[in-house]
Amino acid sequence: MSNIDRRDFLKLVGAGSVGAGAGFMLAESIKHPVEYLIPYAIPPEDFSHGIATWYNSVCSMCPAGCGITVRTREGRAKKIEGNPAHPVNQGRLCALGQAGLQVLYNPDRLTAPMVRTGDRGSGSFEQITWEDGLTRTAERLATLQKNGQGNRVGFLSTGVRGHFASLLELFMGTLGSDRLLHYDFAHPHTLYAANKRFFGEESLPYYDLQNTRFLLSFGADYLGRWISPVHHGLGFGHSRKRQATDRLRTVQVEPRMSISGAAADQWIPAKPGTEGHLALGLAHHIVAEGGYAGDDLENWVAALRPYSVKRVAEQTGVAPDTIARLADAFADTQPSLAIGGGAAGNCSNGVDTLVAVNALNYLVGNLGKRGGLLFNPQPAFGSSSHPRQASYRMLNEFAEDARRGQIEVLIINGANPVFNLPSAAGFEQAMAEIPFIVSLSSFLDETTAMADLILPSHTYLESWGDDSPEPGVGFAVGAISQPVVSPLYNTRAGGDIILGLAQQMGLGEALPWASMEDFLKARWREIYQRGAPAEELNGFESFWRSILQAGVWGEKTQNSASTFTLDPSLVDNIGVEAAVFTGDIDVYPFVLHPYLSNALYDGRGANLPWMQELPDPLTSVVYGSWVEMNPLTAEKLGLSEGDLVKVESPHGEITAPVFVYPSIMPDVIAMPIGQGHEQFGRYAKNRGVNPISILAPLMDPDSGSLAWGGTRVKIEPTGRQAKLLKIGGESRQLGREIIQTTSNRSAANEHAQINSIPISVVSS
Amino acid sequence: MASAKAWDCSDMSISIIPTLKVLKPVALILGGGFAGLLLGYWVNVTFFPDDAPQQPIDFSHRVHATDFEIPCMYCHVQARRSASAGVPSVNKCVGCHQEVATDRAEIKKLMSFWENKEPIPWIKVHDLPDFVHFPHKRHVAAGLECQTCHGPVETMDRIKRIAPLEMGWCLNCHKEYEVENGLDCWTCHK
Repeated sequence: MSNIDRRDFLKLVGAGSVGAGAGFMLAESIKHPVEYLIPYAIPPEDFSHGIATWYNSVCSMCPAGCGITVRTREGRAKKIEGNPAHPVNQGRLCALGQAGLQVLYNPDRLTAPMVRTGDRGSGSFEQITWEDGLTRTAERLATLQKNGQGNRVGFLSTGVRGHFASLLELFMGTLGSDRLLHYDFAHPHTLYAANKRFFGEESLPYYDLQNTRFLLSFGADYLGRWISPVHHGLGFGHSRKRQATDRLRTVQVEPRMSISGAAADQWIPAKPGTEGHLALGLAHHIVAEGGYAGDDLENWVAALRPYSVKRVAEQTGVAPDTIARLADAFADTQPSLAIGGGAAGNCSNGVDTLVAVNALNYLVGNLGKRGGLLFNPQPAFGSSSHPRQASYRMLNEFAEDARRGQIEVLIINGANPVFNLPSAAGFEQAMAEIPFIVSLSSFLDETTAMADLILPSHTYLESWGDDSPEPGVGFAVGAISQPVVSPLYNTRAGGDIILGLAQQMGLGEALPWASMEDFLKARWREIYQRGAPAEELNGFESFWRSILQAGVWGEKTQNSASTFTLDPSLVDNIGVEAAVFTGDIDVYPFVLHPYLSNALYDGRGANLPWMQELPDPLTSVVYGSWVEMNPLTAEKLGLSEGDLVKVESPHGEITAPVFVYPSIMPDVIAMPIGQGHEQFGRYAKNRGVNPISILAPLMDPDSGSLAWGGTRVKIEPTGRQAKLLKIGGESRQLGREIIQTTSNRSAANEHAQINSIPISVVSS
Repeated sequence: MASAKAWDCSDMSISIIPTLKVLKPVALILGGGFAGLLLGYWVNVTFFPDDAPQQPIDFSHRVHATDFEIPCMYCHVQARRSASAGVPSVNKCVGCHQEVATDRAEIKKLMSFWENKEPIPWIKVHDLPDFVHFPHKRHVAAGLECQTCHGPVETMDRIKRIAPLEMGWCLNCHKEYEVENGLDCWTCHK
């Protein structure tokens, strides 16, 4: 072996080299992967490695205006919690608010200005620079303004308040346009209108759930998505925790049991659209039993004559003795509180219904009283959203103007009317007539897909703003929305875009501020000077820092309407018309009851995976859409869970699987709102169906708002199946005694000293 | 009969040589390959160690900590306050080095990072997996010297990992010092 010939030598060297390489790679492969330690070049002042920094701001996920506090680490937002100092939510926050992080980090965010390249609605865009985008828009706006045609500019924003709303007013006013509209599907137009009619003030009062002892809700899902759910949930929690003799009892009147209905002591299904009749029936009983002793008693007796318990029982389908007992309990348990909303407030008689609810509060003396209904002062600053909130009628007028070619430029800011209006409204077609549409939205939703130019806004976690919550909390309160992280993408704050446009148009005199932050500080300096003693006028910076730090600011104010006098003529006109339903009852036998999804709200939460996977609290279904129907109805139609059915109204049809739901009236079909997006990113797209699309274009004539509770539908089985994704298994107990109950009778005896309404009690 | 003789079993001998002749190239390849493997492994481990990687700037702890007696926590300010000790910002380095040793090649490297306002991509030497929660703060508060885990850093020109930073190693110490709840899973894995 000593002599190695050439061939063997080559073999040896070759094998040795390959082996050496392999050995090197082997050693390399078992090493730790290289990780880097990247320091800041210049660290921010209040930054420490590994230590969280919390910033207070304002939630913008729904119009309630809760205060939030955001945990950030190394410049990244990590968690959103409620701000404990903010009086609306007092440290709590709903699931949608928590999911705000997924708005910030959403992979489908619009990251740079874009111009349309394909057909409208096709969603094909090409990136441009900010200068280019602003110039294109400013040129058009400036030309219109110079020719005195400023009114040919429309602005359609999602509901915004505070100084951003003021800025929009100022901008549109300077342009010479009064076509500034805010649009939120769930804006309670009928509640404002009813309060204007009854109280003389077009605002939302404070509903004192925390101190009331009897809460009667007509369709208002106050624990779900009704106006300020976190605050109501807090009040509900507090008043439910009191001693048994003083504990809050709730009764929920609605055709389909919502989460508030499930949490109530009694759920009373009344025929859709007859909630107002029921309220007046209760009023009739209270007045007849001597529960009201005002000077205008005679007028009330006369006005309520048509609403005898017997007649109302026939109209509503609620048993006469239930009505009588409910009325007695409502009058005798003081303080009590009646609220109304949801589908009850959104039938064609919505305003009448809510006026009847107000009347009920008036008759038992719940107005301006602790535990009842307190009046709110005007917003502390800036503008309220309501005066600009577009009712269905206003949007129709706007669409009509667009069709007639009177709108040259439409600016969209977050509003999504293409998704949130019935197809019968034809808003998308009307938009097609507008020559130039600019969107400031952060996502490519259905409306933004129609835009010619996209100037994407920051999310609320990246921008400056402020808010005065509505409904308020009984005193003037406000909060600053401050950026908690640096902007992730090449986007700009909505206010900065408006100010940028104004500068390019040469409107610097009317809107001289360089940025939204400057504008905000200028306005807050005025608020500070209003309240500060003269010698402290230099202390604005410390005032500003302290409100940023606290996340909330309050002002002592007098309640504007603590003494309430009823307009006597109102009593004579009190009454509820029968609700109008679109669709012949013989062809369309069911009333469609759309409801706001707990997770997705009016559809704006659909692009957030956390919200998609959040099970509906009553059905436990995740991800999709479903059709809730009573077991009797399902049996009659030969349907069971998962059967795909066509839900057809006179204005369209959608297909979704059946969910058999015992807590719904047999002639009512319920569907959650929020799914069925055609755009709006990967998580929202092509998932479920949108019940708004098949709604009838029916209005409440008084407020002009969409009567979205007034559509009849028919159900047609398709013969196909779809598995419902839900976390709940069997909805019956099957003898497992998971929830133990006592009978109505024994429970009633047990609680006889509290009242005589039968309640079911969950034992521990 | 010649053929008969050839089949005579008594005369039959078996030699390994022919077999070896056939196997020789295989043996050469295998032997050479294995030797190469060991050599390659050794070269990697010796000359390209991952416990002391080449850093973007040849920063010497010896110069700073021994020659100039700068305390550890002058630069690693977060160690006593936070989970992470914190590598100093470029800003902090420049704070001294815009005056000190400005002519050195490595300081010129530093200044070029600073001029571009770029961070220095230091390579992590002491790295724990993401599923381990290790707070510096608690260990400093307990009175541990930095050197207990990091070794004699003040003598190193290039930083070198001296401890395995593995679970058994952590637990030994927790046992020895009788750390309260020091052996609970959730103390470190949370």
